[in-house]
Amino acid sequence: MTNLKLVALENRKRTIIPVGNVRFGTGFVIIGGPCSVESEEQMIKTAIAVKSAGADMLRGGAFKPRTSPYAFQGLGLQGLKILAKAREATGLPFVTEVLDTRDVSWVAEFADMIQIGARNMQNYSLLKEIGKLRKPVLLKRGMYSTLEEWLNCAEYIMSEGNPNVVLCERGIRSFETYTRNTLDLSAVPAVKEMSHLPVITDPTHGTGKVGLIEPMSLASVAAGSDGLIIEVHRNPAEALSDKDQALTPSQFSGLVRKVRALAKFMKGIR
Amino acid sequence: MNLKEIRSNIDRIDQQLPILLRQRMEYSLQAEKHKGDARDPAREESVFENVTAKSSSLLDKSFLSDLYKLILAESKKLQARHLKLVGFQGEHGAWSEIAIHAFGSEMAPIPCLEFRDVFACVANHDLEFGVVPVENSIEGSVTEVNDLLVEADLKIVAEAVIPVHHNLLALPGTNHQEIRSVYSHPQALSQCRAFLSRNKLEPRPFYNTAGAARWLAHERQRSAGVIASKLAAEFYELDIIKENIEDHPENATRFVLLSTQPGTGTSPANKCTIAFSTQHRAGALSDIVRIFAENKANLTRIESRPIRTNPGTFAFLLDFQGKPDDPAVVRALENAKKAAMMFKNLGFYPEATL
Repeated sequence: MTNLKLVALENRKRTIIPVGNVRFGTGFVIIGGPCSVESEEQMIKTAIAVKSAGADMLRGGAFKPRTSPYAFQGLGLQGLKILAKAREATGLPFVTEVLDTRDVSWVAEFADMIQIGARNMQNYSLLKEIGKLRKPVLLKRGMYSTLEEWLNCAEYIMSEGNPNVVLCERGIRSFETYTRNTLDLSAVPAVKEMSHLPVITDPTHGTGKVGLIEPMSLASVAAGSDGLIIEVHRNPAEALSDKDQALTPSQFSGLVRKVRALAKFMKGIR
Repeated sequence: MNLKEIRSNIDRIDQQLPILLRQRMEYSLQAEKHKGDARDPAREESVFENVTAKSSSLLDKSFLSDLYKLILAESKKLQARHLKLVGFQGEHGAWSEIAIHAFGSEMAPIPCLEFRDVFACVANHDLEFGVVPVENSIEGSVTEVNDLLVEADLKIVAEAVIPVHHNLLALPGTNHQEIRSVYSHPQALSQCRAFLSRNKLEPRPFYNTAGAARWLAHERQRSAGVIASKLAAEFYELDIIKENIEDHPENATRFVLLSTQPGTGTSPANKCTIAFSTQHRAGALSDIVRIFAENKANLTRIESRPIRTNPGTFAFLLDFQGKPDDPAVVRALENAKKAAMMFKNLGFYPEATL
């Protein structure tokens, strides 16, 4: 791990990364929202529901990496404008994914935090482009990546000058087929041993199963995660993407309540 | 051509027709200032003759004649309202036109090509008023306007400070990645300098913000964007790619209303602008500035401009707070006039705030 000049914990203090009023690395940050921005109405109503459930931040995809080229690819710039309206309506900052180096500056114009998705974790030209900004980055773990490979990607961003990296464990490929991915919760305390950067978990992609999201969210809190990112849809059956893994606003609200209670308890026994 | 293409061609003509009609109304209002009377039967006759001569198998003579009866009736109705004609630089949707609305209703904004045209039209009594930008909170002085204020013999009768929020506009359906160069007035390009450089967009100066929007709507260049107001986006049917792209949210421009006559506004005047030049000796400028300090007149702006006809010499524009009937202000103006080489009082007017 000698090459992790900026990412390694060594004797550094744990880093706190502010995104609007939200601070990653202190307290417990809950991000909620749809997989894709589908329409203004859908995004704003979901955002309001997510806020009243007690979340700190919004998510929503405008540029979507889809397995099939024929699947819904996202609303693009229009999606970014809608996310900005949802921020205005709720006061919550938002994170959204960027796929293309040519879009980096544009996404940064609108978003409070830029996500590098699992499929692009090792897209080095994208990492370097993001590194030139000072905009906070949510770096998801690639589905086939070791912890060392993941942390090296954070090093790419930081070595270009952007110190604002938050890591996100979102499950890795294993031989198990019951779940979409295998959420590697051991990654959370492991990363904390190696790095000073905050790390959150994504139980939605990590399991791909509505019933497993809440238990794995609670397990994430217990494992020392700094936050959660969870897909919420007003009407999951009608979602244009990831409809099998989105929570309804009321499921999400119940989850937030339990997570907050456990986070408080964990703080008390630390 | 398929139905979609045909309809989009129709839409483009429908976009142009109101623009041309408005232009026609503007000219007819200006004509009224010259002839002073709305009725001119000989002229009307020749208008009808010219138009009906263009009849064809698809454009019936009686249709054209009915259409023009409507147009002429509307233009006479407008003339009867005796709107105040106010010149502004640029095209409809320009920030100067937006500023005109801050100076009152019953005004008809008339586009002029250049700032000097606004000054000339007011000086020649072709238009009653002119509205020009003097300074901006990010970019500073609008140098050409300040030069013209020194040169011209016009009075400032009112001022307004207008918040300016720029938008990046493009043709509907343009992918943001395609935009390479951005056209706008140099002032607007400078106010959005950081945005343009972050997104690697090449700034291209154009004579006016709304003019650039009109040009893009007409030329339909996919690789071009323009910086202009939301009004311009609506007017020329362009998409807003990004709102509020100015480098600071408190971007505002101060506009003044020009006339040949001193102001007789309803609110009391409490601000004055003067232009002067001084002898080329140590302390000449400070002597004049001191006159205002001694008479307790607070200066709000001092601007120096090279005198273009005599390089190396400078004129100064000075704004201060003071009422026309205050003896201290009258004394300060008299003393300043004596101390200066050239001296002009551009007038008293009510001070504006944001």
